[in-house]
Amino acid sequence: MKPFDYQRATDADSAISLVSGDPEARYIGGGTNLVDHMKLGIAEPGKLVDITRLPYDSVESLPDGRVRIGATVRNSDLAAEPVIRQRYPVLAQALLSGASGQLRNLATTGGNLLQRTRCSYFQDVTTPCNKREPGSGCSALEGWNRHHAVLGASERCVATHPSDMAVALAALDADVLVEGPDGQRTVPVTELHRLPGDEPERDTVLRHGELVTAVELPSLPFASRSRYRKVRDRASFAFALVSVAAAVELVEGTITDVRIALGGLAHKPWRATEAERVLRGAPATEETFRAAADAELAAARTLRDNEFKVPMTRNTLASVLRELTRQEGS
Amino acid sequence: MSDTHAPAHRPQDLDDAIAGGVGESPLRPDGTLKVRGDFAYSSDLWAENMLWGATLRSPHPSARIRSVDIGPALRSPGVHAVLTAEDVPGRNLYGLKDIDQPVLAEDVVRYRGEAVALVAADHPETARRALDLIEVDYEVLEPVVDAELAAHDDSLPKVHPGGNTVRYQPIVKGDPEVTADVVVSGTYTVGMQDQAFLGPESGLAIPAEDGGVDLYLATQDLHTDRKQTAAALDLDPELVRMTMSGVGGAFGGREDLSMQVHVCMLALRTGRPVKIVYDREESFFGHVHRHPAKMYYEHGATRDGDLVFVRAQLYFDGGAYASKTPVVVGNGTTLGVGPYDVANVSIQGWGMYTNNPPCGAMRGLGAVQPAFAYESQMDRLAEALDMDPVELRIRNAISRGDTTPTGQVLDYPAPVAELLRRVRELPLPEAPAAGAEPDIRDLPGGASNTTHGEGVVRGVGYGVCIKNICYAEGADDFSTARVRLQNVAGEPLAMVHTAAAEVGQGLVTVQQQIARSELEVERVNIHPNDTSVGPAGSSSASRQTYVTGGAVQAACRAVRERLLAITAERFGEPAAELSLSGGKIVSRESGVLADIAEVLGSEAIEETREYHHRETFPLDERGRSERAQVQHAFSAHRAVVDVDTELGLIKVVQLDCSQDVGKAVNPESVVGQIQGGSAQGLGLAVMEEIQVGEGKIRNPSFTDYLIPTILDMPPMNVDVIERGDPNAPYGVRGVGEPPTISSTPAIVAAIRAATGRDLTHVPVGPEHIIG
Repeated sequence: MKPFDYQRATDADSAISLVSGDPEARYIGGGTNLVDHMKLGIAEPGKLVDITRLPYDSVESLPDGRVRIGATVRNSDLAAEPVIRQRYPVLAQALLSGASGQLRNLATTGGNLLQRTRCSYFQDVTTPCNKREPGSGCSALEGWNRHHAVLGASERCVATHPSDMAVALAALDADVLVEGPDGQRTVPVTELHRLPGDEPERDTVLRHGELVTAVELPSLPFASRSRYRKVRDRASFAFALVSVAAAVELVEGTITDVRIALGGLAHKPWRATEAERVLRGAPATEETFRAAADAELAAARTLRDNEFKVPMTRNTLASVLRELTRQEGS
Repeated sequence: MSDTHAPAHRPQDLDDAIAGGVGESPLRPDGTLKVRGDFAYSSDLWAENMLWGATLRSPHPSARIRSVDIGPALRSPGVHAVLTAEDVPGRNLYGLKDIDQPVLAEDVVRYRGEAVALVAADHPETARRALDLIEVDYEVLEPVVDAELAAHDDSLPKVHPGGNTVRYQPIVKGDPEVTADVVVSGTYTVGMQDQAFLGPESGLAIPAEDGGVDLYLATQDLHTDRKQTAAALDLDPELVRMTMSGVGGAFGGREDLSMQVHVCMLALRTGRPVKIVYDREESFFGHVHRHPAKMYYEHGATRDGDLVFVRAQLYFDGGAYASKTPVVVGNGTTLGVGPYDVANVSIQGWGMYTNNPPCGAMRGLGAVQPAFAYESQMDRLAEALDMDPVELRIRNAISRGDTTPTGQVLDYPAPVAELLRRVRELPLPEAPAAGAEPDIRDLPGGASNTTHGEGVVRGVGYGVCIKNICYAEGADDFSTARVRLQNVAGEPLAMVHTAAAEVGQGLVTVQQQIARSELEVERVNIHPNDTSVGPAGSSSASRQTYVTGGAVQAACRAVRERLLAITAERFGEPAAELSLSGGKIVSRESGVLADIAEVLGSEAIEETREYHHRETFPLDERGRSERAQVQHAFSAHRAVVDVDTELGLIKVVQLDCSQDVGKAVNPESVVGQIQGGSAQGLGLAVMEEIQVGEGKIRNPSFTDYLIPTILDMPPMNVDVIERGDPNAPYGVRGVGEPPTISSTPAIVAAIRAATGRDLTHVPVGPEHIIG
C-alpha cells in the first residue's frame, strides 16, 4: 500500500476543497471497497478525506412524499429503516442481499453507489485492464468472463457493476444529490453510472471533488409492491450473477405502470426500458412477461462463459413479474 | 456387614472407573478456546524485537530471470535484509517426493506466485513496500498449461529439464482387451479445489546462540519440514528446532514448505526474530491445491450387471512442481475402479508438470477425482442396463477376500454393500406437500427468497468410495510417542509427547483417551508438539489415529509394564496377575494393592515407542503389488437435491452418510469429521473451483472463491458402523478422507436425477443447468 495522508472532514465545504484541490485525494466512507483496492494496488490515493462524520447519516421523509437518504447512512441501517421496508421493499431486499453482515454495517449509501467492478482482471494489477490502466487492453474479452456483461459492453470493457442497492435505486428512479466545488447538482441514478464505451476508466459522470451527499427516492406509491431477486452461486455472500429489481402497478389484470432494473448484466445498473415499454398497458400474462424479457435481451451479446445469463435473466424477470402480479391480484 | 473372608476389593467392585477413555467423546482440550476466540494461532505469534518478512513472487507463469536488483529495496529505511537465491545457505531445492522446487527462484520461474526474493523489515507494510523496489528483469516465456497435451506433445517446452511427466503409472489386471455386452463411456473433468483453511501460512523464527534456529509454525509434519529446511539452511537438523503453534486448518495444504526456509533465512541473516504471515491472496499462491483432472472412462458389464472391465486414462495437472503428484497418480490409478470387484482392469495415469499453480495434497488425495468419474459411470451403466443404481453397486461391491486391481487381497472387513444398504435405509426428507406453499428457506437460494418453487425438481443420488489409509507403496510409515507417568500432588499424571500435528481433527483428544484407557489414569496432558521427540509423520492420509494412536498405545503399554513390574517386586505378586483400574493397581488374587501414585512415589516412568504399520510394497510396471496399501476405508453417501431448473440453482436438501470407521475412538469427533468432509465434498460438487487461465489464478480470495456457508450445508443423517480392522490399533480405520470423496458424486448424481442433465464437470454451476 502506498503511504497516504488522512484527514477527517468536519463539514462538507472543507471536505470538498480538500479533495478537489488535490488530484490524488479521495473521499473515504466505510472503506469496504476503497481499502481493498489500496491493498491490491488498484487505487493509490495520496490523501484520504474521511466523510463519515459529516451530517449525512439520517433518513428523512420529505413533505412532498419523497424520501432523502443521507450518503453516510450505513447499508444495514438503511435496510432496517421502517419507511424503506414499507414503501420501498425492493431497496431493503437489495441491501440485505449484498455482501455480509459485517460489510453492511460499515458500507455507506454513497460508497455502495460508487463501488467498482469485481472483474478479476481489474483486481489483478499484473494483467491488462482498460479500466485500471487505459489503453492496456481488456483481458476479460478472451479470458474468464463468466461474471461479465451481456448488455451495453464495449470492445474496451465488459465489466459489470457489482452493487445490488444501485439496481434497486435505478428501478426506483432515485436521484443522487451531489455537491462539488461549483455547487450542487442532481443526477438521476440511471445517469450516474456510465457505459464503458471508449473510456471504461470512468465509472460515473461525477467529476473529481464531487461529493455524493444524499439519495432521494420519489414518492412512487406502487413501489410498496416491489421485489429484488438475486441469483448467485451460493445462498449468501456472493455477487449477483443476475438480479432483478421490479415494481409493478396492476389495475384489473393490466400492468399500468412498471419499473425494472437488472443487475449483473452491464457496466451500470441496467434500467430495462424496453421491457417496461412492452409491459406498460399490457395484460399480466406469462406471454407478456416473456415478450418483455425478450425485448430487453434482444440486444444481449454473450461471451465465452456467460451465455447462461440470458436465459437466467429471462426466467428470473418472468418469475419476479409473476410474483408481483400474483401478489397484487390476490 | 462385610464378609471379612472375602477380598476387600474385587476389580468389579471398583466404581471409580476412568472417564473419557477410548470409545467416549470427552471435551476437546482446545475446543472451548477455539469457540471463544481465545485460541492462539500461529499468525498470533509475537516476539520482542521481531522483524517482519515478506516474499516477492513471480507475476509470470513462465519466465527467465535476466537479473534481480535489490539495491533500492536494501537502501529503503526500516529494511534489514533483502535475500535472493544467492543467499540460500544450503541446497536451494526441496520437495516431498521429488526434490525439484527452489527455495527462491534462480534463473527461471515456473509458476505465477513462485518466490523470488525475501525482505525483512521493522513493519509488515515497510517490508511489502520494499518488495515493490526490487527490480526483476523477466524474459516472459510461453507457459505450458494443458496437462493432457503435456503428456503426449513432445514439442511443448519442458517445464523441467527431465521432461514434463512427473509420474506415469499403468495398472493392468486380467485381460485388458476383453469385451462386454454393455459398454458405457464418458469423459469427466474436475476443477482445481482449494483447501480453504482459515489460518494463513505463518511462522516465527528465532535465531539461537548455537547457530541454529527455533521455528514456531503451523504445519502438518514437523520432521519433514525440518529435514527440508535444514538442508536448505545447510544446518544440522538438530540445530533446526521446530515447535507446533496453533494450526488453523490444513487439509493437505500445509504438507509442502511455504514460509519455513524463508523465515529462517531472514532470522539467521538479521540475527533477530522474524515473523512471516501470508495474507489471504498470498495464501492462494503460497500453498498447493487439489489436482484438476481429465479422465476418460469405459465400463463394460454383462446384461445382468456384472462388471466385466474398467478402462481409464487419467490426467492430473501437477503444476510447476511435483509435490505430492506421484502419490496422486498412485492413489488415482490404484483406486481408479472404485470399491468394486472387477476382473479386468486397464488404467493409465499421468501426473504432469505444467506452468499452472503447483498441486499437491488435499483431503482425499488422488481418490476424489476418479470417484467422481467412476461413480458417474456406474450411474450411466445402471441407466444403460435399466437397473437400480444402488443395486448395481451392491452387486459389484468389493468385499473381504476380494482382490484389488493391484492384486492385493483385502484381509479386513470391506462392508461396501452393507454401507450402501444402510445409507439407502436412512430416513428421507419429507417431500413438500402438494399444493402447500413451500418454506422458501428450504428452496434453492434459501432465505434470500430467490425462488418460490416454480420449476423446482427434486433428485436423489448415491455415491460410494474407497480410500487407502496411511502412506503406501513401500513408504516406511511410522509415528513416535513418549509417555511419562508420574505422581503429581498425589495424583497420577500421564504426559503424552508426540510430534503429531493437531490440525483441527481432534488428535489431542484421541491421544488423551488412549492414555486414559491404557493407563487407567484420569489426568493426561499433551506436551506441546516439537522436534525433540521422534517423527510422527504427517497429519494426512487419515493416518494419525492409526499410527500415532498406535504409538501412544505402545508407549503406554511399555509404561504399564514397568509399573506392574515395580509393583510385582514390591508386593511379591507375579506381574502377570496385575492390572490397572481406576487409578489403582489390582491383583487378580488379592484385589487392590495400591494407588498408582503411591507406587510411583517420586519416580517417573517414561517410555518412547515407535509404531510401524504393516509393510507395503511398490507397484511394478504393470501396477501389481502384494500389498500396495495398508488399509482401505469406505463411505457411502445419499444426496437429496432440489434444483430450480429456471434459474439453475441447486440446493442440497439432505446429505446422508454411512461409513465404516473400524472403531470410533471418539464418536462425536467421528461424526464431526464426516460432516466436515461432506461439506468439503459439497463445495467441490456445486461451487468450489480455482479459476486458472494462462497459468494465473483468477479468484484468489474468499469473496471470489466460494466455499459453502452454513446456509448451503444441509442436515445430515450420519450412520457410523464399526467393523474393526484386526491389523490396526483398536481396529481403527481412517475416518477423515472418505466422506470428502463419496459426497461429491452423490450430489452430482442427484442433480442428474433431478434435471436429466449429463453433468461431466465438477463443480456444477447454473450454466450447466440452464441454457
